[in-house]
Amino acid sequence: MRGLRFTAFALSASLATQAAAEDVRFVTCPIYRDTDSGRKSGCWLADDPETGVRYDVSQSMARPHWAYGVLVEGNVSDDTEDTCGGIRLLPVRTSVLYDMECPRHMIAAEGYPGRPLPFAERYVMPVFVERDLPEPPYEDTSFSLVYDWNDDFITYNHSDYFFDIAALWIEAAQPARVIVTGWADTKPVEISGRMMAEDPDVARRRAEVVYESLLRRGVPADKIEVRWETHAQPADVEAADGLTESSRRRVDIQGIME
Amino acid sequence: MIKFGDKSRWGRIAVLLAAGALAASATYANESGEADFWWSPGSGETFPAQLDYPNDLGTLRLVLDGGPMETAGHPFFEPLGPNGRACITCHQPRDGMSLTPATARAQWDATGGQDPLFAAYDGSNCPTMPQGERDSHSLLLDYGLFRIQRAWPPVDLHTGEQVEPDFEIEVVRDPWGCNTGEHYGLDAENPSISVYRRPRPVANLRYVMTSTFNMDPKTGMPYLNDPETGEPIPGNLMADARTGTLRWQMRDAARSHLEMLDELTEDQLQRIEEFERRIYVSQQTMHTGGNLAAAGAQGGPEPMVHFEAGLLGTLGKPLWSEFDAWREPDPNATPEELEFRASVVRGVDLFLHDTFLLTDTAGINHRLGFGSPYRVACVTCHNMEHMGLDAGAGQIAIGTNNSPFANQNPHLPLFRIRCTGRPHIDLGREFLTTDPGYALTTGRCQDVGKITAQTMRGMASRAPFFANGSAEDIGAVVDFYDRRYDIGYTEQERQDMINLLSAL
Repeated sequence: MRGLRFTAFALSASLATQAAAEDVRFVTCPIYRDTDSGRKSGCWLADDPETGVRYDVSQSMARPHWAYGVLVEGNVSDDTEDTCGGIRLLPVRTSVLYDMECPRHMIAAEGYPGRPLPFAERYVMPVFVERDLPEPPYEDTSFSLVYDWNDDFITYNHSDYFFDIAALWIEAAQPARVIVTGWADTKPVEISGRMMAEDPDVARRRAEVVYESLLRRGVPADKIEVRWETHAQPADVEAADGLTESSRRRVDIQGIME
Repeated sequence: MIKFGDKSRWGRIAVLLAAGALAASATYANESGEADFWWSPGSGETFPAQLDYPNDLGTLRLVLDGGPMETAGHPFFEPLGPNGRACITCHQPRDGMSLTPATARAQWDATGGQDPLFAAYDGSNCPTMPQGERDSHSLLLDYGLFRIQRAWPPVDLHTGEQVEPDFEIEVVRDPWGCNTGEHYGLDAENPSISVYRRPRPVANLRYVMTSTFNMDPKTGMPYLNDPETGEPIPGNLMADARTGTLRWQMRDAARSHLEMLDELTEDQLQRIEEFERRIYVSQQTMHTGGNLAAAGAQGGPEPMVHFEAGLLGTLGKPLWSEFDAWREPDPNATPEELEFRASVVRGVDLFLHDTFLLTDTAGINHRLGFGSPYRVACVTCHNMEHMGLDAGAGQIAIGTNNSPFANQNPHLPLFRIRCTGRPHIDLGREFLTTDPGYALTTGRCQDVGKITAQTMRGMASRAPFFANGSAEDIGAVVDFYDRRYDIGYTEQERQDMINLLSAL
């Protein structure tokens, strides 16, 4: 398969952390509040089924689909301004659960202004904007992408940003090897009364999508090693935004200089 | 004298407008003052630097960057294959380098249906139908649709290997017998799906072929690379992304539309691409609004020659800032012109700021991460400056093909799609479509009905719209979006949108 080397691999334990879990983690049907403060301003709300508390999850980089359940993972924000009708979570990640159908809930603005999606901080600039490549010295470096539950998609304005950083570094540093390791969170855990575990195969799919993406960015196939692992542990990586549990669902891209 | 087609039949005269060289600028009309409609393959005429065609709303203008070009011997203009067609056959200047059903009908009448345009392979509803009869060519004559035959299962674009699709296709309706016949269709020796599509305009391609991003947000991966150049392939060229580069498309079109048995030569590829990257088209004047470049506006194709291609409206100038000058009063304009300009400016504001809820639109709502519903304006997707293409080029299913959103199109085949893996996120495990679109390239159920957006310039000359021709005019385009997304345009707003789109 195009010269890939697939090997079992245990990532360095130094990545693992013992950070506290997210403030909230639950599964529910999402609610769209039809606020209108211009483009991208609708609110997404999620009621924790165990407590009944309504959270504002609008600032998740990948937003819900109203026909499917969501896994909500987030921390309560210090910003207490209520613009959507819920306790604001930030950082927050919502993962669409395709096996959980939901009634389509949309409620009126009811006076809430909404929260226009700001111009993303993690935005891959267009090619017409001049880019600065990372400068030497180059040392062994690791980059990580974090994924939605059971998904291998590189999310716009989030994971693509981190992938782009990795690709630019590889372009500049020209490492001798690039090790791509896909992880899946396969240990069953009960969330909102559902036993949840990621499909072990998603680790492979995540790794192979990144491998193919690196090829398209010009990284030679014979430089890339692809690995995948299950039973992922949390990692202290920027892409996780401090959300410990979601950090298990990731791909690590390691550039090795020697 | 510049002349095209069968002069004795049409008695055309060429009316030269601009001063200067004969071939520098021209408007074409017949003796009745109607636009000369047909550029014949092999006519050997000079393609002028500027070419105007009257249309129902005013004047369409084509600009050939770099000046006039001799077409004698040029591979875009010369019949290359056994069926007598050239590229120009289906990409007519008068139709904004596309082809309208009105032009097809006129050529049918002019030639008794014998023109190579009506080649059995794709200029008839199905090659097995009796050729030379109008009913056998009704899709081209009434809707401007050509038959597109795709292998089933799909073949990987790069490896040439068969893709294992995650959906099944069942033919529900086959009005022309090309999906269930002995020679064409799913049961044929070489199984295929026939769909019917409008020819995309061969103009403004410097924009179409410019990448704004190196990541395709809709697939979550970098764009594929051109195996010939190593450069990323922009995603805006073909309706179903079955080819990604101009050369790739040329080879595909030569084999299919021209029925060539030999490959195009390197010289032919170079000359066609060079022409295609030089030609620009846009509406230039409106009967009611006058010159679209008047009073400081930058309508018409000439500015497009000089603008940088691929810019994103959100980071540069807002879309359709070409008409910003019309926000100021013009004491020299007539009341009709002022009224039209005000309407265009209102249309621009609607395009940029009037929001609505986008739902069940695969490629945007899902998997990109925007969620469904998602509050958007037109510019959210049609965001490339000067063109209205999607700068994050890719394929979207707005519902022109898929039930329940598509217009009823009883003249088109209808397919039942059955997802064998994960159900389609918006449409479930089973649904109907008249054209699987991008899924005929990828084999993925989630891609069924996805189509690539196309240029919004020169629309006044190339109805009907959408890849399947289901919107008969610009008003029908506006109405489709209004109904599909429950926008709620007022009559005035509808007209403002129509005026904007007509002026592009």
